[in-house]
Amino acid sequence: MVAALRSVRLRRGLLGLLTLAALYGMTAQIASGRLPTTVYMAPHDIEGVELLPTYPSLAEEAVFLVRSGILQSSIAVSAGRVLAGLLLGSAVGITLGIGMGWAARLEYALEPWVVLLRFTPALALLPLYVLWFGLGEPSKVGLIATAVAIITLQGTHLGVRGIPHVYLDAAAAMAAPRLLVLRHVVLPAALPQILASVRISVALAWVTVVVAELIKPTMPSLGYLVALAGAYPRVPTIVVALAAMAALVLVSDGLMLGAYRWGTRWMRTQHG
Amino acid sequence: MSTPGRQRAVFGCVSVAALLAVYTLLSNVNQLFGAEALPGPLARVLRPDLLPPTQDIFKALMSLVTGRLPGAEGHDAHVGDHVGHLLEQQVTLQGALLQSILRVLVGVAVGAPLGILLGFAMGWSRKLDDYVHPVYILLRSIPPLALITYVMLWLGHSEAHLLVPIVYAVSVTVVIPAYHGVRDIAELYVRAARSLGAGGWLLFSRVILPAAGPSVLSALRYSLIIAWMTTVGVEMLMGDNGIGHLIVGGGLWSSRLQVGVDPAVVIVAILGLATAGCLMDAAARIVTDRLTFWVRRRRAW
Repeated sequence: MVAALRSVRLRRGLLGLLTLAALYGMTAQIASGRLPTTVYMAPHDIEGVELLPTYPSLAEEAVFLVRSGILQSSIAVSAGRVLAGLLLGSAVGITLGIGMGWAARLEYALEPWVVLLRFTPALALLPLYVLWFGLGEPSKVGLIATAVAIITLQGTHLGVRGIPHVYLDAAAAMAAPRLLVLRHVVLPAALPQILASVRISVALAWVTVVVAELIKPTMPSLGYLVALAGAYPRVPTIVVALAAMAALVLVSDGLMLGAYRWGTRWMRTQHG
Repeated sequence: MSTPGRQRAVFGCVSVAALLAVYTLLSNVNQLFGAEALPGPLARVLRPDLLPPTQDIFKALMSLVTGRLPGAEGHDAHVGDHVGHLLEQQVTLQGALLQSILRVLVGVAVGAPLGILLGFAMGWSRKLDDYVHPVYILLRSIPPLALITYVMLWLGHSEAHLLVPIVYAVSVTVVIPAYHGVRDIAELYVRAARSLGAGGWLLFSRVILPAAGPSVLSALRYSLIIAWMTTVGVEMLMGDNGIGHLIVGGGLWSSRLQVGVDPAVVIVAILGLATAGCLMDAAARIVTDRLTFWVRRRRAW
């Protein structure tokens, strides 16, 4: 029954995706001779722009980008930055979040700054980071890490604060040392919230990297690939790069979902 | 009850005051003692062009709010730097913020109904959900800011071109809460209403909307922040006005970042961003609470 339902859903989902793909292909084919090929950009017109690239030209472009190794190296570099920013940012955010949930005074002292940062888009910090950390790698990774840290800090803080007081009382009644309570009560109970916030921040990290990679852009990077292709403009390249980005976001989101399931499996076994 | 509240306020104020004092001291060390008094590596970090002194930040704030340089009437001593450049274009902090807020509101006003509609439809019909959900997940995965170069080819360098990523980001955000709001309504409610003969608009307005309302409203509040982030990003990349433009003073494309961004202006802009974002969120919270209060009272019956 469940398996049958699953296969129905799978079939319908595939059908939906295929319909979209077919519709796009048809539209692009029909439009290829009819859409204007001249685009006005800043000072002058640019000719020979394929606004809606057809599948053949997309495939050609993808093959070129893969053959030349541009796509792979861009993906590797951008994913590396996202990963570094994610690790750094969530390490800071989760530590501070646990600290804020654990020690009321730390919470009170940090609260104004958290509010300030919460409503500040991390992107606005970009010029400051460029000044402070230079045009190289540190400001890019730092920007991603900041965006990630703000989100994970809030999630962790909420998770730790949301632990039922009974748990802590029970642990205290058994004279558990603080470190033990942290390891065996606080962390597992807050883990779902922490992982959920990390999952949100992964998506945000990918948004941030696109902009961060425009400062002193060096070629192998997805953000600059999009920007450069937009400057020419070469639409097939843009579309391939966007598709690569979407695929990476999907994969990392799937990985985070897996981590979330793994981290919260004790909740399900409890319910039987 | 009041003691933790007071402690919170005291600690918050002390922390803000302490950091402000430390920052003022650090940023003024150079002017007070001269660069030679400091050890080399420290002197390289504590430069006023990296850490603008507090009074300079205040000065930048004042000139960006009033729209003119203090004490520099008549002769334009500073034209060419970031503040002067902005003032030349008649940019003020509140004007830029207003422009950005307007973009956010347009983004939410256009994007939220689209997303909510899709979410409701997906939550209501399992069949539609099966077909459309994978497509939605695929679309959701495209970072909104990455779209901007492609959108520009279609729409040219215009206001609509800036608004598309914002609208897109908002509508993609509100789909899932709307979807869950409708899908997770207890089936009993729907069946009870149906068996009493309710259908169509009556069912929608009396059962579905009150049940899904709270999650949709909280999604709207969240989407305001998403729109705020996207707006700033869009304006930093390609805006001719708004707070993002104020920060970089003319777009990342012109790579002015490498020429002369005044950190004092950036800090002023960040403070403005945080204040405006906070106010928008507070307003949304008040409206949301009012609306959900009504809903909750009805549901408690």
